[in-house]
Amino acid sequence: MKQRLFHKREPGREQIPEQMNPRLPGGFHLPPFGVHQLLAVIIVCIALWAIGVIWLSMQAASQWVGSWQDDIRIHVYLDPQGADKGRETALKQQLAEIDQIASVRRIPPEEAARWMQQWLKDAALSEHELAARLPITFELTLSDQESEFLFDDIRDVAEAAGAQVNEDEVGLAQAHHWIAQADYLAWFASLILALAMALIISNTLRMTLLARADEIHLMRLMGAKEWFVRMPFILEGMVLGAGAGVAAWLLLWPMVWVTGGWFAAMEIDVNNWLLLLPLLFGGALVGALGALVATANVVASEAGS
Amino acid sequence: MSVALPQIHMQQLMLRYPTGKTAISGVTLDIPQGQFVYLVGESGAGKSSLMRMLYGGVRPSSGRLMVQGSDMRRAGDAKVRELRRHTGIIFQDHRLLFARTVFENVALPLRVQGWKTERLVPRVRKVLAYVGLADRLWSYPEALSGGEQQRVAIARAMTANPAMIIADEPTGNLDIDTARRVLDYLTDLNRQGTTIIMATHDLHLLESHPGRVVELHAGRLIADSYSAQPKSDT
Ligand SMILES: Nc1ncnc2c1ncn2[C@@H]1O[C@H](COP(=O)(O)OP(=O)(O)OP(=O)(O)O)[C@@H](O)[C@H]1O
Ligand SMILES: [Mg+2]
Repeated sequence: MKQRLFHKREPGREQIPEQMNPRLPGGFHLPPFGVHQLLAVIIVCIALWAIGVIWLSMQAASQWVGSWQDDIRIHVYLDPQGADKGRETALKQQLAEIDQIASVRRIPPEEAARWMQQWLKDAALSEHELAARLPITFELTLSDQESEFLFDDIRDVAEAAGAQVNEDEVGLAQAHHWIAQADYLAWFASLILALAMALIISNTLRMTLLARADEIHLMRLMGAKEWFVRMPFILEGMVLGAGAGVAAWLLLWPMVWVTGGWFAAMEIDVNNWLLLLPLLFGGALVGALGALVATANVVASEAGS
Repeated sequence: MSVALPQIHMQQLMLRYPTGKTAISGVTLDIPQGQFVYLVGESGAGKSSLMRMLYGGVRPSSGRLMVQGSDMRRAGDAKVRELRRHTGIIFQDHRLLFARTVFENVALPLRVQGWKTERLVPRVRKVLAYVGLADRLWSYPEALSGGEQQRVAIARAMTANPAMIIADEPTGNLDIDTARRVLDYLTDLNRQGTTIIMATHDLHLLESHPGRVVELHAGRLIADSYSAQPKSDT
């Protein structure tokens, strides 16, 4: 279109300066980009960056509990000294009676010993000797580790029988529980921030809309379809949001590099690439939402004349 | 491009604004296609109000109003949109967009109707050449005289080739000679078959550009030159 206009000059006519190509309103033409838009992008970018940080932390935290994520097992140890067969079966039965415990397995001494042996590679202990010294071990598979009193129940049962619960495992299971809770919090925070961003974009667009009220009114009087009038603003909202999303994502990299060494020590490897598309599309979605809100008001104020 | 007849039919038409003001009452009037109608009457007589109803700017409160085959009291958004696409509107204060060039102003109705640039550019050039502004394509309306601005407004109203043009005091703030030139364009369009409905205070224009005269007074129809001499024409 640019080319055509420029070459179609007719002799004797006013020369058409190149920068004067028609900027026609409506449809898929974006309104001009001003300082308000830039400010909106910066603010939305900061908010999206905060959301990115939240989700990167969530990623790190869930990696930290790592393999415990899927099925959590708690071990209960009973000292073989002075423990008879009756106490052992009573303990097993009582543990199995706790609702949230899916199954209780008595780990055969040989399996425990083999595992021990692998773990302490060069310790030259005889498997048999080891087996005799190892405590009687029950492996509990939990069906619902988020139950409030579950770990207290396990401890009570174990204590009554003179057995011990592996507290490290309980700690991890509880960490998992808290991270699951933090997940809700992260979603909640993201949602609140998204609403705030939609509001900011909607206000920015409303300024543009007010400046163009005449044009919008005229287009309606000329029989413009509603989407045609709104589309430039929705596009602008989406571009603002998506731009802020990409900017926020880029700004997450310094965060990833700074914390990289620290996380590496904990064998955590956060993946920032996973956040690119969510931030991009999330930003665009929030922008479109703000634009819809902003243009809805203009639709409502349709009057005479 | 339109084949719809711009037949306007009013029967006991009444318009009451939400403020309670009755702007039009009991108007019965028919306007066949291709007529040039002057709407006259004192300020506040209801000329603008009547015209507003013709393009769905306000809805009649009672009575009957058919425009190009649509019942304006019941027409849905799509119907009104369709009607507006076949209607050119010229405002007294011309309402050009000052942030846009003459070209962009005139191209607006075509954009709204989804014209492709390849078709749109020659059409806009042609229309602006018609009103004698071919060399002002890339000027901003600010840089034009009042008469030139009004000609841009005419160009904008006619660019989509409407079946009818509604002009609300298009010569309101122009001197007589400039007003006559503006009227020349409208009468020329009328000769090509466009119905023109124009509100005016400048009765002297009638001498040089005759047409049907409909007079309103306080919202009522008090005189109609057409009923006196039914075969009146330009
Ligand atoms: N939007 C509105 N709301 C309420 N009342 C209105 C509105 N527009 C016009 N009126 C009233 O309706 C009456 C007719 O107004 P209208 O604008 O149709 O007059 P007019 O004949 O065009 O006058 P003028 O020659 O001054 O333009 C006036 O009394 C005016 O105050
Ligand atoms: Mg008026």
